[in-house]
Amino acid sequence: MLRVEHLTARYGAVVALRDVSMHVDEGDLVAVVGPNGAGKSTLLNTVAGLLKPVNGKVLLDGTDVTGADPARLVRAGLALVPEHRRIFRDLTVGENLQVAGITASAADRRLRLDAARQRFPILDSRWDTAAGHLSGGEAQQLAIARALMSDPKLVLLDEPTLGLSPVMTDVVFDLLAELHERGRTVLLVEQNAHRALALADRGYVMRPGEIAAEGPGAELAARDDLFATYLGGGVG
Amino acid sequence: MSTFVQTIVDGLGRGSTYALLALGISVIFGVMHLVNFAHAELITVGAYLAYFLSTRDINWWVLAPAIVVSAIVASVATERIAFRWVRGSSPFTMLLTSFALERLSHALWQVFVSPTKKSFAGPAWVFDTFEVGGIRFEWMDVATIAVTALVLALTAFVFRRTLFGIAVRAASEDFDAARLMGARANRVIAGAFAFAGFLAGVAAALILMRSPSAEPALGSDYLIKAVVAAIIGGLGSFTGAVAGGLALGLAEVMLRGYLPEGVWERLTDAFVFALIAALFIVRPQGLFTVRSAERV
Amino acid sequence: MPSSGLSAERAERLGRSAIASGAMFAVTVVAATVYTSSGGAARDLLVQELLVNIVIVMGLQVFIGSTGILSFGHLAFAQIAAYGVALTAIPAATKVGTLPDIPFGLGDVELGPVGATVVAVVAATILGAVIGVAIARAGGLAATMITLAVLFAVDQVVKNWQEMTRGAGGLSSVPRLTTNTWLWLAALVALLVAHVFRETRAGRFAVAARDDEIAAPAIGINVFWPRWTAWVVSVALVALAGALRVQMIGSTNPKQYTLDVGILLLAMLVVGGMRTVSGAFVGTAVITIGNEAARQIGDTHEIERLPELFLGVALLIVMLLRPGGLLGDADIAAWLQRRWHRSRRREAASPGALAGDEPASDEAPARSAASSGTGSGWGADSGSGSGALVVRDVVVRFGGFRALDGAALRVRPGEIVGLIGPNGAGKTTLFNVVNGLVAEESGTVMLGDRDLSHDPPHRIARAGLARTFQNLRLFGTQSVRENVALAALAARRYRPARVTVEVDDLLAQAGLLAVAERRAATLDYGNQRRLELARAAALSPEFLLLDEPTSGMSNAESLAMVDHVRTTARHVGAGVLVIDHDLAFVTRISDHIVALAEGRVIAEGTPDEIADDHAVAEAYLGRRDASTPP
Repeated sequence: MLRVEHLTARYGAVVALRDVSMHVDEGDLVAVVGPNGAGKSTLLNTVAGLLKPVNGKVLLDGTDVTGADPARLVRAGLALVPEHRRIFRDLTVGENLQVAGITASAADRRLRLDAARQRFPILDSRWDTAAGHLSGGEAQQLAIARALMSDPKLVLLDEPTLGLSPVMTDVVFDLLAELHERGRTVLLVEQNAHRALALADRGYVMRPGEIAAEGPGAELAARDDLFATYLGGGVG
Repeated sequence: MSTFVQTIVDGLGRGSTYALLALGISVIFGVMHLVNFAHAELITVGAYLAYFLSTRDINWWVLAPAIVVSAIVASVATERIAFRWVRGSSPFTMLLTSFALERLSHALWQVFVSPTKKSFAGPAWVFDTFEVGGIRFEWMDVATIAVTALVLALTAFVFRRTLFGIAVRAASEDFDAARLMGARANRVIAGAFAFAGFLAGVAAALILMRSPSAEPALGSDYLIKAVVAAIIGGLGSFTGAVAGGLALGLAEVMLRGYLPEGVWERLTDAFVFALIAALFIVRPQGLFTVRSAERV
Repeated sequence: MPSSGLSAERAERLGRSAIASGAMFAVTVVAATVYTSSGGAARDLLVQELLVNIVIVMGLQVFIGSTGILSFGHLAFAQIAAYGVALTAIPAATKVGTLPDIPFGLGDVELGPVGATVVAVVAATILGAVIGVAIARAGGLAATMITLAVLFAVDQVVKNWQEMTRGAGGLSSVPRLTTNTWLWLAALVALLVAHVFRETRAGRFAVAARDDEIAAPAIGINVFWPRWTAWVVSVALVALAGALRVQMIGSTNPKQYTLDVGILLLAMLVVGGMRTVSGAFVGTAVITIGNEAARQIGDTHEIERLPELFLGVALLIVMLLRPGGLLGDADIAAWLQRRWHRSRRREAASPGALAGDEPASDEAPARSAASSGTGSGWGADSGSGSGALVVRDVVVRFGGFRALDGAALRVRPGEIVGLIGPNGAGKTTLFNVVNGLVAEESGTVMLGDRDLSHDPPHRIARAGLARTFQNLRLFGTQSVRENVALAALAARRYRPARVTVEVDDLLAQAGLLAVAERRAATLDYGNQRRLELARAAALSPEFLLLDEPTSGMSNAESLAMVDHVRTTARHVGAGVLVIDHDLAFVTRISDHIVALAEGRVIAEGTPDEIADDHAVAEAYLGRRDASTPP
């Protein structure tokens, strides 16, 4: 579904990705792990259209969407749950979800809002609260619920468990598992390397600017030298 | 007592126009980080349109909406023609661009119409007064406050209940995140300019009903007050802009009323500006805090 | 300790200013002479106007150009000076009639042109100095709004204090200047002042603060003083212009000092390029001439107000197409500097050059050891220095979130300590606490026995902690050399006992000598990173705090950085605290590693120990099995 070919991208003055290629097959959950600064966020941001790459291609279902406007990508079926969530703190929970449904027809939007209320009872109970008052876990649920409002084919998540308690981390991973089971394609960037790889069909381990290892998720999760890969050793 | 009430009403009347203009400036700042010094030129546009239409004996029931429409159109046009090209530039560049537009607007009116003031007729009832409980009120003041209250209620509705309004608020808080939701940048910004134009158009209609004349520098008189009001309230805060505008109007009128006679009374405006300077010294970010944390 | 190298440089700076000013002055003289040789009084008047504009715009350039803060208020001070001259120079007999109620006994005062000018300029400048305190403190948009408020307040005072100013009618019968000499002199002085200011410490520091408001304090600059100085100098110049103008015309009234006029003058500054004196000069010429041409064309074709149209169009076009101004960063003085440095380098490289000609050889033995690159740059000073950097029990909360929860670490002099930890562990927050950018709720930061816990960033830098930034903060419009020289300047001023290095040595060691005259923003990324490091080193610090120095580098570059950082640190005798997500880099460079997670230290030791530490691995990778309790 998603193909990234020889992507080179800058983040400010920094060349964060050098000639990176990877792909996500339909229905798969693919995990990308690695220390921060490896370029994982840059990868997702470039795919989602926030950054224009210096070189390389991004293909969604065969269509070249390199450097496309994020709004267009949403309409093409892609949704990003950004790092640090980036929920609209001054808007209520309901308003956050409404604006996330901007690409849908009014009828579809209503349906999806109802679905969100059902699937995320916590959000339902905080519907008119300003999003800035949500706890970390609630905010993460909101961020994921937002992404689902456009009924995307491909969901990108950037470090969804960042700053969350162990309990909320479990909740998030359960959510991801559910998305996966329901057939949505997921590209997940995660700090919790072991857990993410255990859940994933396939995984990539990144080091600054490049991919150090790739393979089936379970295999990578079982490796003893995973941390060594972070440190610069290990062979892809 | 009666003078006090009259002062308040007078101040709110004044402050209403400032509030409407300041709100427009805040809305534009929210989506573009641009302090639009050309915003008040929309008043001048409305004024000249009203002048032309009034020479054809057109009723104020038509004139007023026409003024509002002209302001909306002009506002969107400025975005298309000038501000779109400096999106993302430094605040300095954007500020100077808005200045350039303001200068250009002045010049165009002077060159293609006339540098002299053109007066026309306001609605007949403007200076009529009525009495309540021994206090005399001007219909115009009441109309101004009422219309402004209505427009502000409408604004609150638009920004809270319509998808467009919610999108503009979202974009003001985090423009890129709004794009990630699927909001189209050009549409949101054009919409913000259109809405700001609407607000300025209403302010213009209210102003022109009271003083029906068109001259090139008409906007400038209101510009500074509007910008200052928006900044006092904290740029990007809609509540702040309204509060700032009303406060400024009240301060103007009250200072004039309560300063001792003589030199001091004449220096009211000077005092207002000194107060403003003091405010920025003490609280540079304005009255209503606006978030901004620079990532190191 | 001034060396022959330093005074040669100072002479060069002043010489440059003189040459550049002279060149512009000469051009103006020639052009004016040609222009006024035919045609009458009108042309003469235009030249006078141009000269006054030059003085004002140079004043604006000194402040707005150097600090980047937009000011609308300068004209207020021109107006104050103009009225000051009028009130003191108008004959007493006339004042009886026009200003019968004038207060403060000014009715009897009658000064000659020189006296009146001096009094007026001094008065305006003193007032400006007081207001400048608020403006220099506020900075940014708030400062701009204050200047706007000042402009309007003064305007209102002038219009309404009839006893003093005769209100909107203005004052006339001011004794006029008999020759243009004063105007020419003022223009020359203005050009010189503007050029020389750029070379003073205040001017250079102001520009640094303009280019990056966060990096400037990180090399010890307290942005308040350069800004305030720039403001006062600029007000003095503008006041001078006002004082001369009123004597040129013979009268003054509030209409000459409105916001409109202010915008015209701002346009002159901006159209040519506000960041340089050359740009300001070109802009003044272009707008003044264009304005006049538009007026003449307008008169001929009976189009009114063509000058306003010209102004609006010119400003708009420049903003849309070339926001840096026609000249951008190009500048005669800067060009002269590049040529001077290039010829100096050619001389130094030539076979006939003696070692004694090198500035470095004049210095104390410690420095020559450093420049010969024999590893230990430890001069007599740095060893006896301040001791270790010790951070204890630091707690930082952002809202309800504990970013740091009792973090602690120690860096010994000369030691390289790496700080690692997963995202959100609090590494950058810890850095920001040490650096003074973030206030800790509790805990201490000590450098030897000096408590830095509550000092602002510029004082911490002066104490000896120099920092680089994750997002790379260079003074982009300045040359590579100037970036380093600024830190060296700060070191000489604020850490004179500790200074151990020379700018050229650092540039050579960073491999940047060949590009030393280029603007920092034009370098490629790797060189920019090395420049930032060299700048930090130029502070001759006790410790270098490096925030992700290899961010964005390839493997090869990161590897090279290991040696480069080590060598630089040794060169200046500094210890190092480094954050980096490239664990390979950190492992290779560090003597000692501290691992942070959730705001606390979870492990520390040698790189090998850390590599085998399960707690660290778990912090990075998460628990192996979700069902295993932590």
